[in-house]
Amino acid sequence: MHREIRHHIEDVLTGSQAGSRDTLKDAREHLAQCDECRSEVQGMQEQTALIRELRAPEDFAAELRPGFYARVMERIEAEGPISIWNLFIESAFGRRIAVASLALALLIGVYVVTAERSVEDSTLALESQQLPAGQTIVAGEDAPAREITQVDQLQTDQSSEDAVLANLVTYREQ
Amino acid sequence: MDHKTSEEAALVRRVQARDEMAFREVVERYQSKVFSIIFGILRNRNDAEDIAQQVFAKVYFSIKNFDFRSSLLTWIYKITVNECYDYLRKKRVRKLVYESDFSQEDAQRMEASEPAVDGSVPADTRLAQRDLILKLLSKVSEEERSLILLKEVEGHSVEELAGMTGLNENTIKVKLFRTRQKLLRAAGRLTRTR
Repeated sequence: MHREIRHHIEDVLTGSQAGSRDTLKDAREHLAQCDECRSEVQGMQEQTALIRELRAPEDFAAELRPGFYARVMERIEAEGPISIWNLFIESAFGRRIAVASLALALLIGVYVVTAERSVEDSTLALESQQLPAGQTIVAGEDAPAREITQVDQLQTDQSSEDAVLANLVTYREQ
Repeated sequence: MDHKTSEEAALVRRVQARDEMAFREVVERYQSKVFSIIFGILRNRNDAEDIAQQVFAKVYFSIKNFDFRSSLLTWIYKITVNECYDYLRKKRVRKLVYESDFSQEDAQRMEASEPAVDGSVPADTRLAQRDLILKLLSKVSEEERSLILLKEVEGHSVEELAGMTGLNENTIKVKLFRTRQKLLRAAGRLTRTR
């Protein structure tokens, strides 16, 4: 919308004479020439007429039933003072803040848990990399020690017996 | 206009100090006005009374936040319009579940209305237009909504609005113009989606 109309739109819409006659005359002349402004003003006029329909009818008797004040006080007593929690529960904005805070808390929780796990994993990986070549991992708190079972023990005994027998045989041959 | 030194300001200060007689005076002074504002928007007497009670309960609990920048009526007007929109929002949610949008008073008006042979708008068209404008007004801010309703429904001039709100006339004009443009754009979007 052009400036000539924008500045005087309220006067144009109400047909008010509050603006100076020259400015209103200029506005009308502009409207006669400018399709864009004319169409916008027409839309605004139609909407204004619709908004005015929200007036109570002239014959409307704005009389409330007797005891209105008492009913207001009853409601006040029933509702009690507004607490800070009501602001969160009742208002849409408060509810959004509450939901956003919960989501943020959840994200932080997930981040903390996953970050702790990855730190543990990387510490273990670092420790295993730092061990000198040929050295085996000694049973400790983080790496569970391999249990020496009876089978292992028997296998070890068997191989040492074989070695002794082999030594004896070579000794006799000599 | 100074809203801090008027007789009304003294009354507000007494309500802020929890003077029950002063609150009663506020209720009695504005109850008819509030009732007719609500009825104008909703056209339902029973709901209007219920919402009017809610408006004054809200006035009671929130009056300590009243900062005297506007007149008491402007402040109450804003609360009233907000309560109407809160009611409409809740009603829309309820309607999705089980309630018809058509009130008994609507039905009575429809029955009483003659077919539009005299060039007047038929009752069902008027209802649809009312729904449309209420929907469009829900697309602007609370301040913009109150301002345009004070101008067009209550019939206040720009000069009066400036006095009532504590804003200067140019600011009022700019706010009204922006509101009207937003309403036009919202109407355009609504027609495109239909």
